[in-house]
Amino acid sequence: MTNLLLMAGVFLFSFVVGYFLISRIPTLLHTPLMSMTNAISAVTILGVLILFSVASTRTEQIIGSVAFAMAAFNLVGGFAITDRMLRLFKKKEGGVEE
Amino acid sequence: MSETRLFPAEENASFGKKSGFPSLQLFVLHTESDTKKVTMNLFLDFSVTGILILGIWMFRWPHRAKFGNLTAAFALTCGAALILYRNGTMHPYIVLLSLAVGSFAGYWVAKKITMIQIPAMVAFQHGAGGVAAFFLSLAELMRGAQHLGTMNEISGLFGLAIGSLTFSGSMIAGGKLSNKLGQTPRIFPRHTLLVMINLACIVVLIIAALYAPMGIRIFLYILIIFMSVLFGIIFSVRIGGADMPVLISFLNATAGLAAAFCGMIIENKLLISCGATVAASGSILTHVMCRAMNRSLFRVFVPVEESVRKPAVNNEQDRLAGSAEKEARHQSVGKNGEKDDDFQKAAEIARKANKVIIVPGYGMAVAQAQFKVIDLSNKLLSMGKDVKFAIHPVAGRMPGHMNVLLAEAGVDYDMLEEMDTVNPEFRDTDFSLVIGACDVVNPAAIETDGSPISGMPILLAHESKHVVCCNMDDKPGYSGVRNPLYENSNTVLLLGDAKESIGQLLENLSETSPAAEESSVRDNPQDSKKELLDSAVTALSSAKKIIIIPGYGMALAQAQFKVVELASLLESMGAEVRFAIHPVAGRMPGHMNVLLAEAEVDYDKLCEMDEINSEFSQTDTVLVFGACDVVNPAAMDTKGTPISGMPILMAHDAKNIIVCNFDAKPGYSGVENTLYENPKTIMVLGDAASTAYDLTDALKARN
Repeated sequence: MTNLLLMAGVFLFSFVVGYFLISRIPTLLHTPLMSMTNAISAVTILGVLILFSVASTRTEQIIGSVAFAMAAFNLVGGFAITDRMLRLFKKKEGGVEE
Repeated sequence: MSETRLFPAEENASFGKKSGFPSLQLFVLHTESDTKKVTMNLFLDFSVTGILILGIWMFRWPHRAKFGNLTAAFALTCGAALILYRNGTMHPYIVLLSLAVGSFAGYWVAKKITMIQIPAMVAFQHGAGGVAAFFLSLAELMRGAQHLGTMNEISGLFGLAIGSLTFSGSMIAGGKLSNKLGQTPRIFPRHTLLVMINLACIVVLIIAALYAPMGIRIFLYILIIFMSVLFGIIFSVRIGGADMPVLISFLNATAGLAAAFCGMIIENKLLISCGATVAASGSILTHVMCRAMNRSLFRVFVPVEESVRKPAVNNEQDRLAGSAEKEARHQSVGKNGEKDDDFQKAAEIARKANKVIIVPGYGMAVAQAQFKVIDLSNKLLSMGKDVKFAIHPVAGRMPGHMNVLLAEAGVDYDMLEEMDTVNPEFRDTDFSLVIGACDVVNPAAIETDGSPISGMPILLAHESKHVVCCNMDDKPGYSGVRNPLYENSNTVLLLGDAKESIGQLLENLSETSPAAEESSVRDNPQDSKKELLDSAVTALSSAKKIIIIPGYGMALAQAQFKVVELASLLESMGAEVRFAIHPVAGRMPGHMNVLLAEAEVDYDKLCEMDEINSEFSQTDTVLVFGACDVVNPAAMDTKGTPISGMPILMAHDAKNIIVCNFDAKPGYSGVENTLYENPKTIMVLGDAASTAYDLTDALKARN
């Protein structure tokens, strides 16, 4: 029960913190923001890592490896495309290079 | 924050032994070194979350966002490293191989795609995230059904369902965004009911999976996945192309939610907190998009007003048809005969109409008129009208008779509508064509009591603006009840053989339409475009303060580079040029900003709506590129339209307005843009990229 409350608490806390953090982000960056949060949602890759940290059956291995590859696709692709996009945003004088 | 335990403490110990790695047990503390370890781990977890928050926080400033993105990526890498350090891995080869495959594919796609494809890419990535989430849930459920607590199990089942629907929904969204699927919403009969039934099935299956014996649970899990995938599909197919910003934001939120549920199965707090943050972000973006499009989330997901929006798209045709009608009137002066007159009248109605519903009855079958009817409907379709067939359940001599006849004649079955679906639409219909049907459109069924047909459900053809009846005679139908529809002032009766009547009508329609096309061409000859360009150049060269408003049309025409070139030319001439970005311009939140940034626009010049709206009144010239609804003053001036109350860019406040759109048709909302009729507005129609090019050229030539 304590555990459940703790998890619900973590969820609520993160949601609220995320809400306040993200509602202040300028609309200018909404596309990169979505693309980055999309990459963050591939945090499930950590879950698959944990899955693989103990012995598992063949079926679990197959399912796990698909999940891992998909999450890696989402994670790497998400951060890479966000990076590419953000490099495009620049200022002429004294701004960020590239 | 996360202590990465696979199972609650008691199981964890045994698994720890089995795998040969020390496991962490928060609630079983014996020695001082254990306490130290826990503190250390807590500290590490908090650090990872802290780095992640820092990354998101840096998104507040455009010049720090790039670093923020890398920071977030670093945080997740730390999380992975931490898990590897604590738990190790039993299958290093599987991990490495999947990592290599997934990362390579992700990286390659990310490098390859162009900026206009970003929304589709993001949608497909949401899909991949969904797959990962439901596979992870599945693996954990299969492994741990005996060990998991009830709450973990419920979370797992939710993760399964939400992950699957995110996957299929994203695939549909991605397909629509990349133009692989049609942009128009596909609405099945009783769509809302289908969605509800599907949802109920998922809930029942989830409950069943909680109580079922171990052996059959796996089948229930697979059923849940299947039903959820189906749900994602039928949920998304009916959302139109232009509503994709809302759907894609919503799927962002569900992907986050799925990740959070995955975290709850394995009680990993990093997963939960990341998932919740993403869910929050997706919710905010969904809300922002809905507000900017002036639509409620419910309306986007349950689009009932399709019938209202669609006809308005054809308004341009209406205008063209209007001028044709005048011409037709001139021509018809010489003709005589009442019957001819009636046909002219009917043809005129048909030409003027945007939305046409054809009501076939058994009379059509008797006259074998269905092929002619299809010719007519094709003619109307080619004139840009919205044509549907309303099929009464008892029309014909057997269930679905009319459908078979029309299908045989080659009609697209999408156009065949059941009574219940089509009845609300008659109100907005300009022209109902009744062919050989009587009782099924007899308003006496609902207006009078005591007749043989009282209470019979009918097709509400009498509610449409004009009705044309092609029946053999005006005698009552099988029921023997007189049809008051025939006496309505807005009804035109074309009596006689239905096949001949339709043929005649078709002829009349074709007769005058070439004239209509001619007149529309005459409206926009080459010289007048030059004149317009000239006046546009005059307005630009004298302007000190210029605001450019880009819309999705600019993206479609790939005009951003040309537009930016024009902007720099104007700047070199001493004008102050800025870009006004409406929140929903484009296909996903902030899409325009990315496209313009790609074309090397300084982001200081990309102004948000609220910040720039007050400045339009001091602006000399506004250049609109491929934007319509977001600059439509009707949103503020009129009530009751789909965009009323939607926040817009106040382009109409500027001294001069140059609209470089493809055409003068209304935008997605279907509401006529009153800005186009503003005396200050110069309309330079055509491909946005070539217009921008022409403007640049003309400006250079003048100086």
